[in-house]
Amino acid sequence: MIIAAALCPSPPLLIPGLTGSASVLPELRLACEQAVAELVAAAPDIVAVVGSGDQTMIWDAAARLDLAAFAPGIGGAVLAPGDDPQEPPATDRGSGLPMSLGIGGWLLDQARYGGERLLQSVAHREPAQRCVGLGADLAATPAKIALLVLADGSACRNPKAPGYFDERSAGFDHEVERAVREGDLGALSVIDVALADELMATGRPAWQVLAGALDDGRLTSEIRYCDDPFGVAYLVASLRVELSRAGR
Amino acid sequence: MRPKQTTLRLRGHSFAPERLLVMAIVNRTPDSFFDAGQTWDESAAMERVHQVIADGADIVDIGGVPAAPGRQVDVTEEIRRTAPFISAVRGAYPDVAISVDTWRHEVAAEACAAGADLINDSWGGKDAKLPALIAEYGAGLVCAHVGEQQPRTRPFRVSYPDVMADVLEQTELLAARAVEAGVDPACIVIDAAHDFGKNSWHSLEVTRRLAEMAATGWPVLVSVSRKDFIGETLDLALQDRLAGTLATTSICAWLGGRIFRAHDVAQTRQVLDMVAAIKGDQPPARAVRGLT
Repeated sequence: MIIAAALCPSPPLLIPGLTGSASVLPELRLACEQAVAELVAAAPDIVAVVGSGDQTMIWDAAARLDLAAFAPGIGGAVLAPGDDPQEPPATDRGSGLPMSLGIGGWLLDQARYGGERLLQSVAHREPAQRCVGLGADLAATPAKIALLVLADGSACRNPKAPGYFDERSAGFDHEVERAVREGDLGALSVIDVALADELMATGRPAWQVLAGALDDGRLTSEIRYCDDPFGVAYLVASLRVELSRAGR
Repeated sequence: MRPKQTTLRLRGHSFAPERLLVMAIVNRTPDSFFDAGQTWDESAAMERVHQVIADGADIVDIGGVPAAPGRQVDVTEEIRRTAPFISAVRGAYPDVAISVDTWRHEVAAEACAAGADLINDSWGGKDAKLPALIAEYGAGLVCAHVGEQQPRTRPFRVSYPDVMADVLEQTELLAARAVEAGVDPACIVIDAAHDFGKNSWHSLEVTRRLAEMAATGWPVLVSVSRKDFIGETLDLALQDRLAGTLATTSICAWLGGRIFRAHDVAQTRQVLDMVAAIKGDQPPARAVRGLT
């Protein structure tokens, strides 16, 4: 049973140290923290973290993001004076946890959530029907589940964007935002998969899990953040499941 | 024991391992990131060649396609931008090595026919026909690491368990493929390709660990001039990145880099001469202090 859901993007820049000394997009981080705080406050039995990855699988709940994969040397001086620069330092190998789940786990850590978590990745190429099915399976679980969905919109919003400018991106992202705002999650399950890929909208499989998990529920949504400051569409939302369904 | 650096040969040109080389950037584009079309006009480009050679360039690197995404430049247009100009530079400076910045074998063929000595394949071996073509001309090849990045795209959330391990693996693989295709090993150069398939942390890491590349024995090209990782590190715009570029250049030279691709040739030459002197590879230009 899904009792609440939160939608957050998963750019690495959410993690403060990764941007160096500068504070980048504190308002985005705050919106995510508020969404996750509300999720945790719903007192779930389990928080299910869902995000895209190379494959569909459940990860060790203790796994955390490998920061060094994004920022080698972030832990401090890599070479102490006198070290032989030709000898590479020993580094911890990461768990291979997908970034989306790593960001989700980090947000839960920030919220001091100590309860049970389920880390579910969904393959980038997973067909819509499979994604929706995964969501339905989660919803069919007897436990009270809070869903933390990590999903990013298109990465082609302007010429400075990672994917350069694609004029279709704004319409694509607006439709996702509308679907979330109006609680019309069925619209997410029929997103054009090929278009999502072309627009580098990595959140597509995770949105569709969300659609499958809450397809028959009556929802109210709060959009906490919706913008594309670096040409990637970020959407933060809280999705509240009406009590009649949650208590069913 | 680690392999030693040996003489680099680029067709008729030979460079001893101790000599730190400046590769001067000359863009034949209307829209490259730093000079924004200043040498789009052919006479302006030739003026720049005169200047960079006077400033101490060993290699002139001529490019017809900007690295950033933007207006498409097809093979015909790229050849039109580069080959006749290479021919003109070849005629004017028989003793200067000429490089062409391209990933396409058709462009490389025309460039070599026009007199190019080195193909700077900065997109990491995307065209499988390139090595055999280079072998045919006896030219040199730059084997660059770009991770999974495609030509004229930007990195998007790239990560590596160990970025330098990936750099070594990919550049060694490209070098081995070139040798297999018949390229003379003395003509091969490797390049970490800062900013290509890398975020700024990755580019800082490959800078920090450049000695691991030099330890392979392949000559190492360092291409950092005015790049975004310097801009992000110092929070400075393009026009203010010279100091950061020169700092990075000196570190890379100290750690074993041999060829330095540069916009600011005179300053880069000074830095390399200074580092070479500190290393003991080159005497001071004029030392009289305390000696008279």
